[in-house]
Amino acid sequence: MDKITLKITRSGGKQASYEVKYRKGMTVLDALTDVRERQDSSLGYRHSCRMGICGSCGMTIEGRPMLACQTQVSSLNRETIKIEPLHNMQVIRDLVVDIIPFFDLHRSVRPYLMRKNVDERDHSDREYRVLTDEVAKFLQFDYCIMCGLCYAACPTVALDPLYTGPQAVTQAYRYMADPRDEGWGERIDLLDTSHGVWRCHMAGACSFVCPKDVDPAKAVQLARMEVLKKRVLRKRGRAGSRLVTPPITSAPKEGVKPPPFDFGGVKK
Amino acid sequence: MKRDRRFKSGLVSSLNPLGFNLERWSYTVHRATGVILVGYLMAHIFETFQLGGGSTAWANTMAALHSLGPLELVGLWIVAGSALYHGGNGIRLILNEAFGKFMGKPILPVYPYSPTSLGKNQRIAVWSVTALVLALWVWAGLYLLAGLGVI
Repeated sequence: MDKITLKITRSGGKQASYEVKYRKGMTVLDALTDVRERQDSSLGYRHSCRMGICGSCGMTIEGRPMLACQTQVSSLNRETIKIEPLHNMQVIRDLVVDIIPFFDLHRSVRPYLMRKNVDERDHSDREYRVLTDEVAKFLQFDYCIMCGLCYAACPTVALDPLYTGPQAVTQAYRYMADPRDEGWGERIDLLDTSHGVWRCHMAGACSFVCPKDVDPAKAVQLARMEVLKKRVLRKRGRAGSRLVTPPITSAPKEGVKPPPFDFGGVKK
Repeated sequence: MKRDRRFKSGLVSSLNPLGFNLERWSYTVHRATGVILVGYLMAHIFETFQLGGGSTAWANTMAALHSLGPLELVGLWIVAGSALYHGGNGIRLILNEAFGKFMGKPILPVYPYSPTSLGKNQRIAVWSVTALVLALWVWAGLYLLAGLGVI
């Protein structure tokens, strides 16, 4: 394969074709950059880190939402590559979509640690206790890079623009599972609505396209179980984990035994 | 109603499973079979409603149905298949959603990624439902043909 052809859906639905010289290891983002630098400087697309961390270069490649920087041209196994903007989002220009509604949904589930004692949270000189087993319950969902691929792939979002969406539900569950958080009941009220967690039909497309294996389908299902715990089993939210003494900030002196660690009354 | 200006959203996009996972195909079939069942339900209500018009109206309705010939049989067979798939896949979804079956537990993602919610257990569940439904659908077809005295 010497050359590849990019068929790009540009603003207004027009399709433009560009031929790019193929080189080994070339990603779709490399090909787009080649087009913009050598052929058409007006081509609009977003990118930043070029290593699958920032989540900016999400686009529909061959009908499936993918990160352009992580998609090798060779892996697509074709000489003509069809590129479109992400589905379910409004196009600003060419491959650039409006992600503000997506970010608003993320913000709507209050994706941060909620504590009853706000002063303790914001001005504490100590840390909250989290055990390794507890971290394992939410760490996978913490890897979300907010690229929006799950949102673009979701068939429910395609039908209901008010649906909270897989990314936001995943982040809601990530904090609900966090032992430091005390906003369990409040987030359940946010998710248990007609456009909330029950709209999901378990098509699994979100997990299929996720570039970080965050597995939103699993998080949505777990969030539903939490809703059922509150609504059916009448379970109440738990108290957040306690503060523990600060970690040793200076190196221990030789021959001096460090003071015993205070677990805040919790048994080890 | 405000026009949806989002790129490729809407019914057609939501039902297009091309390039996606097995469960997304299952979603499309589940939706399609659901629409068929709703259509059948409406037709069934209309049909039984004719009883109110007396025996002549009922006889006329039956005659109109039988005049469809083999199409009536094909229609019933499609309805049977729809009911079987919608019911079977619905049970899988209830097990998924209410009991967390076939979904796996949260894990630490290790490259190359493979989401556990779409893993081996889920695939076995989807294919089991499909195989069972196909077998029952063939049996339903034979049952319908036997009822008409064709076989």
